[in-house]
Amino acid sequence: MAKARALDKRRKSIRNIRKITRTMELVATAQFRRAMERAVSAGAYTQRIAAMVADLARAGASVSHPLLEERQAKNGAALLILTANRGMCGGYNSSILRKGHHRADELKGEYENLRLLISGKRGISYAKDRKIELAATYDQFNDKPQYDEVVKIADHILSEYLAGNIDRFEVAYMKFISVSKQTPVVETLLPLSELAADDEAGKSAESNGAEYEFLPSPESILEEVVPTAFRVKLFKCFLDAAVGEQIARRVAMKAATDNADSMISILTTTYNRARQGQITNEIIEVVSGASALQG
Amino acid sequence: MSATATEKNIGRITRVIGSTFDAEFAEDALPAIYNAVKIDSEQGDVKIHLTGEIQQHLGGGKVRCVALGSTDGLVRGMECVDTGAPVTVPVGNATLGRVFNLLGEPVDKAGPVQAEEYRPIHQPAPDLSDLSTKTEIFETGIKVIDLLTPFVRGGKAGLFGGAGLGKTVILQELIARIASAHGGASVFAGVGERTREGNDLWREMKEAKIGNTGQSVIDRTTMVFGQMNEPPGSRLRVALSALTMAEYFRDNLGTDVLLFIDNIFRFSQAGSEVSALLGRMPSAVGYQPTLASEMGQLQERIASTNKGAITSVQAVYVPADDPTDPAPATAFGQLDAFVYLERAISEKGIYPAVDPLASSSRVLDPQYVGERHYKCARLVQQTLQRYRELQDIIAILGVDELGEEDKRVVHRARRMERFLSQPFLVAEVFTGKPGEITPLEDTIRSFEEIAAGKWDHLPEQAFMYVGSIEQAAEQAERMEAEARKK
Repeated sequence: MAKARALDKRRKSIRNIRKITRTMELVATAQFRRAMERAVSAGAYTQRIAAMVADLARAGASVSHPLLEERQAKNGAALLILTANRGMCGGYNSSILRKGHHRADELKGEYENLRLLISGKRGISYAKDRKIELAATYDQFNDKPQYDEVVKIADHILSEYLAGNIDRFEVAYMKFISVSKQTPVVETLLPLSELAADDEAGKSAESNGAEYEFLPSPESILEEVVPTAFRVKLFKCFLDAAVGEQIARRVAMKAATDNADSMISILTTTYNRARQGQITNEIIEVVSGASALQG
Repeated sequence: MSATATEKNIGRITRVIGSTFDAEFAEDALPAIYNAVKIDSEQGDVKIHLTGEIQQHLGGGKVRCVALGSTDGLVRGMECVDTGAPVTVPVGNATLGRVFNLLGEPVDKAGPVQAEEYRPIHQPAPDLSDLSTKTEIFETGIKVIDLLTPFVRGGKAGLFGGAGLGKTVILQELIARIASAHGGASVFAGVGERTREGNDLWREMKEAKIGNTGQSVIDRTTMVFGQMNEPPGSRLRVALSALTMAEYFRDNLGTDVLLFIDNIFRFSQAGSEVSALLGRMPSAVGYQPTLASEMGQLQERIASTNKGAITSVQAVYVPADDPTDPAPATAFGQLDAFVYLERAISEKGIYPAVDPLASSSRVLDPQYVGERHYKCARLVQQTLQRYRELQDIIAILGVDELGEEDKRVVHRARRMERFLSQPFLVAEVFTGKPGEITPLEDTIRSFEEIAAGKWDHLPEQAFMYVGSIEQAAEQAERMEAEARKK
């Protein structure tokens, strides 16, 4: 008797959950499209800048820029982990955090000290729970990361790097490869040389074989371009992460909705059976009571 | 039997309905309620030896009886003789090592029983003032039972569960664990279960030795069977026969007695089978209206007095896995320790399939088990409770959506759940693992450590079927070594 009612109550609560997950799935689908457009359009710009930096670095081999140099010193490193502000996106946060945490342990071994920076409330609470010390936290980035905000972080990192407080800067984020594939990666953003060398853009620039003439001087050009390349590169990471988050959310919510559907159907069957059993039981009691009175 | 010697009080059968029959006696010589009547007759080639028990006086010299054997071949007009007393069974040390039916007749083909005393199976429950007030924990070496549903020495414990969840296995395991270490006598009542199981048990007891005395367990055990194949009257009374023998050990010999009953539900079921035939109106779910009083009369007799203690373990079948069914619900109220077996747990392959949240014990109280044990048990239950609450969310959204605290709870709850399994002595031939007897101290320490997160690094599978937590660590190493080999 109590069983049927409990089942019905449970089914109702699952229906409510399903309503929410279904809505979130639709919202995520719409947001994903917008985020992807932004990421793709920024992608072209980033590639071009990266190619230019690579070209310039090669062309002006004689001149150097501090951001391009590999440093021998291993005093400090910084790792920025990009997570989401909200949950409900499956394994998105945990896979990045796992990757980031692992990399952080490695860096700790190599460098004297490690500054850990985390963007996104999920990552912050993860660190807080494990009592991991954070150098900085950011939770102002939502579905649309703003360039201005990213530049603030980038400039802060740049100044620290140039001051020699950190010798390496890495970012752990969800790299957008295609709509059906995103992987958590750790990329080195400073020094920029590594990035330029193994980038596709570097190869295409080589085939171009363009000749550059620096005016007024290679130093002044590099001074302007290289930090911009870094800022744009970091911005791209944020954009990729935003896309990845929306895709992960859409997939997770779709799975959740499906799960809720199958659970509702199982509960409905069980509920109907319990209800029927209850009715049968009552009929049996009435009938057998009546026949016992006759006998 | 004494009455028959002087003057036989003879009646005639007037009606036979299923396993009940009516008989007519002289109106001034009506046999009392619960008196046994005997029918010894020959119809052609068929010999009939039947004992019946008077249940009702119908008026006009007629009585209604429950047959305690098969009514096949019974016809109207047959003579039935009042024995002048209820069914009596042999009691005392002569019954040890023997197997009886409910009438107290030996069925083990080992000759007649040399009993000095016989007792009627209907006895009053001990007086209130004689009841023992001691509460002492009874350690079984089974982790889940010792931790969450501690048994009481001289108390009653029930094993509730649906079909095929392992009630009988746990009962046999308890016999193997405690009867072999027990100094007093044991009585086993087989009520309406498979005859094969009774046979297995008898053979096992013959082989098992008590401590290092060289005596077989069976030499200190009396067994009484009224199994599935017997008519309802037999299943209705067999528990009383066994109980009467146990009571004698307690009252007259002053020993501690272990009483095992498998399965008390069959007692209620048999009562319901004859109830309608006796003309009673069925009550809830078709059970007899006297369900609660029948159960109460039986259970109240299973008690510990100042002379001696009866510690009883009873299996209770739960029809259709529904614990609100009147029969198990009535038995539930009588018990000190309540062990509930859950199908969902047996489906996970965790045996004993004890539901740690539905099971309980009267003595799981700091006053009896001590503060540390109580806290540990509550912590385990809270963790598993939280895990159960989260299960719907996990099923829909996945573990990743849980908060850090909840993730940890789930992580530990899954380990605890598995750690509640244990290899059994009687299941050794099936599992290939030797049975584990885990001391209570080890059990508490192990669960405290799991709850504190000391063993979070071990894989879940390592917690399956081990004794103490150190064995889980060993099993994890073994598993890792095997995985590396591949």
